Amino acid sequence: MTVQQLPAPARFRISLRRRPGTIASAWRQPLAIAGMVLAGVWIFIAVFVPFLAPYDPLHQTDLLLAPPTAAHLFGTDELGRDVFSRVLWGSRLSIPIAFFLVVGAVVIGGTLGALAGYFGGVVEEVVMRAADLVFAFPTIILAMAVTAALGPSLQNAVLALLIVFWPSYARVVRGLVVSLKQADYVSATRLLGSSSRRALMVDVLPNVAGPVLVLATLDVGNAVLLLAGLSFLGLGSPPPFAEWGSMVNVGTQYFERWWMGTFPGFAILSVVLAFNFLGDSLRDALDPRSSWGGQQ
Amino acid sequence: MGRSAVNPTLLEVRKLRIHLPTASGMSTVVDGVDFEVRRGEVFGIAGESGSGKTMSVLALLGLLPDGAVVEGSAKYDGIELLGLKGPSMREIRGAEIAMVFQDPMTSLHPMLSVERQLTEHVRYHLGVSARQARIRAAQLLREVRIPDPESALGGYPHQFSGGMRQRIAIAIALACNPKLLIADEPTTALDVTVQAGVLRLLDRLRVEAGLSVVMITHDLGVMSSIAEWLTVMYAGRVVESGRTADVLARPRHPYTAGLLAALPHPEAPAETALRAIKGAPPSPLARPAGCAFHPRCDYARPSCSTSVPALVPIGEGRTLACPVDPLIA
Amino acid sequence: MLLGLGITFVAFVLTELLPGDPAAANLGQRAIGDPAAVQAFREHYGLDKPLPVQYAVYLQHLVHGDLGESEQSHRPVLTDLREYVPATAELAVTSIIIAFALGIALGILAAVRRNKFTDQLLRVVSLSGISMPTFWLALVAIYVFFFKLGWVPGSERLDPGTFAPPHVTGLYTVDALLSGQTDVFTNAVQHLILPAFVLAAYNIGLLTRFTRSAVLEVINNDYIQAARAKGLPERTVVLRHVLRAALPPIITVGGLAFANVMTGTVLVEKIFAWPGIGNYAFLSATTLDLPAIMGVSLFVAIVYIVVNFVVDVLYGVIDPRVRVG
Repeated sequence: MTVQQLPAPARFRISLRRRPGTIASAWRQPLAIAGMVLAGVWIFIAVFVPFLAPYDPLHQTDLLLAPPTAAHLFGTDELGRDVFSRVLWGSRLSIPIAFFLVVGAVVIGGTLGALAGYFGGVVEEVVMRAADLVFAFPTIILAMAVTAALGPSLQNAVLALLIVFWPSYARVVRGLVVSLKQADYVSATRLLGSSSRRALMVDVLPNVAGPVLVLATLDVGNAVLLLAGLSFLGLGSPPPFAEWGSMVNVGTQYFERWWMGTFPGFAILSVVLAFNFLGDSLRDALDPRSSWGGQQ
Repeated sequence: MGRSAVNPTLLEVRKLRIHLPTASGMSTVVDGVDFEVRRGEVFGIAGESGSGKTMSVLALLGLLPDGAVVEGSAKYDGIELLGLKGPSMREIRGAEIAMVFQDPMTSLHPMLSVERQLTEHVRYHLGVSARQARIRAAQLLREVRIPDPESALGGYPHQFSGGMRQRIAIAIALACNPKLLIADEPTTALDVTVQAGVLRLLDRLRVEAGLSVVMITHDLGVMSSIAEWLTVMYAGRVVESGRTADVLARPRHPYTAGLLAALPHPEAPAETALRAIKGAPPSPLARPAGCAFHPRCDYARPSCSTSVPALVPIGEGRTLACPVDPLIA
Repeated sequence: MLLGLGITFVAFVLTELLPGDPAAANLGQRAIGDPAAVQAFREHYGLDKPLPVQYAVYLQHLVHGDLGESEQSHRPVLTDLREYVPATAELAVTSIIIAFALGIALGILAAVRRNKFTDQLLRVVSLSGISMPTFWLALVAIYVFFFKLGWVPGSERLDPGTFAPPHVTGLYTVDALLSGQTDVFTNAVQHLILPAFVLAAYNIGLLTRFTRSAVLEVINNDYIQAARAKGLPERTVVLRHVLRAALPPIITVGGLAFANVMTGTVLVEKIFAWPGIGNYAFLSATTLDLPAIMGVSLFVAIVYIVVNFVVDVLYGVIDPRVRVG
């Protein structure tokens, strides 16, 4: 009796065909465009800030606590530094770190999740319980504790946030791996030959990439927020660095000098907004059932 | 022997056209439908899914999807239903014209009690107190033969079987004593053994209340057992109508004949092949020119592909939309 | 239960493993140089015993309701918690109520006007809500509504000079009402408004989105059309039929919303000088006050468990299909 090569189950093929169209359509949505433009602007700023900032962010002058003028668009702070330049330079801190954080969380969480899903048993239990424990703590308390214990610095804040972020990815990836494992057993008799297995990989990766990408994009925004929050509490990068969160912190002390706290906060808001717009549009594109996109 | 005799007309639909927005433009799902329903009679609309039968009745209650365009006229007791404004339409819905939907699993709210679903519109339309409404609700349940009505009131739909749920749905529909009941495939989702009970119930209730019923179904067996008058629809148009007994015993339209021939005959020998109508019903976006049925018709002539057949009376209360008329016995 | 134990274990291990000497954090520069003082500190807090013993001792105390003594305030942690919890509770509950009321209302609005301008606008608004740094919003809110407009006070729970009402629950609003002090009540409410709204901002955004999608899932169901066919006014259909059916997934968000509030209180309480758990958590974390950290973590864990339990119960109330029996 000959063994026939049966075609891959139809559903895999459908998902493969759906993929290119839907991601491409995301870009055309106005929200996604707005997000991309905004994110692009900030990334541009982060890269070219030495040419864009009119002043050295650390340079102190005698013009203390001056309101916004033509010379100092965002005014000056308590040490006479130009707020506008400091805001621009802040992007060099927040944005790359946020990216690094998210990539790190994806890698760590994804790997742990994949291992948990693939091996099951003890490995799965340990990883998932660890994830549950992290979820049970309010983000900030955990982050605070870690950062405080290790000493307030940017690296430690990043480490603390890594601990906080990895479980979401572990969960997502594990879930997908588990469902794929089941699919494997169900279609075990039909998936014969290595070419089918390769097709599986080509199908698997897009299936995993989608939700992870959405989560990651949204997490870039969250990372910026949390990092700023920690810095605001004094647990992030110490002064005199131009970090947005700590700038807002100082701004609360010089309350009537509204420009000192407002502009850095706006910067945070716009960066996070950009990535949330992007993430939202991506989610709509990848999940046609999701409500904020699509005709009905 | 027409219907124009003693019975006054309750519902008169003329030249009803319904266009729905789709991804590829407006599609005409109902294309010029006429029918009449008299007081106290059961009027059947038969056809496959996609024939436009459900849309036709949804139009009467203003329940078409957003963006639908409706033409023609539908007069209920002298009132023009199409285009009726909100408050006036709401007075008609439930109180004058009520509807029973196909699947009682999904047409009853899963989280509201039976009592609530039986009384909310009664209180809204008739202004009665909660206590009075509750008494009435229990009475209704008794009429539809739900055992232990008092405790059933406090129950929820998922606690009842399919047949019982449909009875509850019928009770809900009749709660405000409407004059016209529209039943859209009321027994299709039910077991065959349960179907008969529900149909008997419907028949008894309409006799007791002098109710008119519009019965929509694709099941000709159901149609023959309860409907006095029958209209057959295909691809958004009426192809044939008349007394149910006549139409089913002596069909004149090839489509009707095809439907009947496709029914398995309980007394035919076991090896008898099932005869399906060749082809498939057209989508509203791709309706064939001329007579919509002609690509599947064994008697089609060249003229059938160019001119839309008109619905003409052929005596004995029957109408027919087929100029070829090949089935005259 | 197991989770609770796990949390205490993890918190304990974490705080022990992390480098950083609690003695150093708590005693200040001068005392550190004095070995006797350090030793006294360690003995007092049992820091000189081996780790497993410390943990066992802690658990033993826990069972007896003794959460240890805060290194910072030199009072039992339980006392600290008792003092600070009501303040946060008042703020958190108010905030959650605001968030749910506004979020659900806006979500329904967006769903009903799907893809129209209102909907698109609400999408941007809700995305902004979840993108806003809470501390920044607090700052801007205080500046605009307190500093510039003078509509509401900018900090603390009551005006200086106004005394707190007799202590029944610790919630100033409730206590003031209970003792008939309407002026104190008004004052307390005034102080609550700004921080509660700031705290609610994120959740409003979250709930708007969740409600919208929950409503859209439900709104095309047959039973909704059947309700319309009964002649009920659209408002009744939406508020009674649609909302009821959409509520279960929205309730699920309740747990998440509480978590957000817990996170947010740390920032909001600091800015508004609100004497609550958030502030306490911050102080204990930064001074490595181990008993206090453990106490707060435990408290938060318990709140989570209770909230999740309440959510489960609510599920049963809303959806009869879920009920047992």
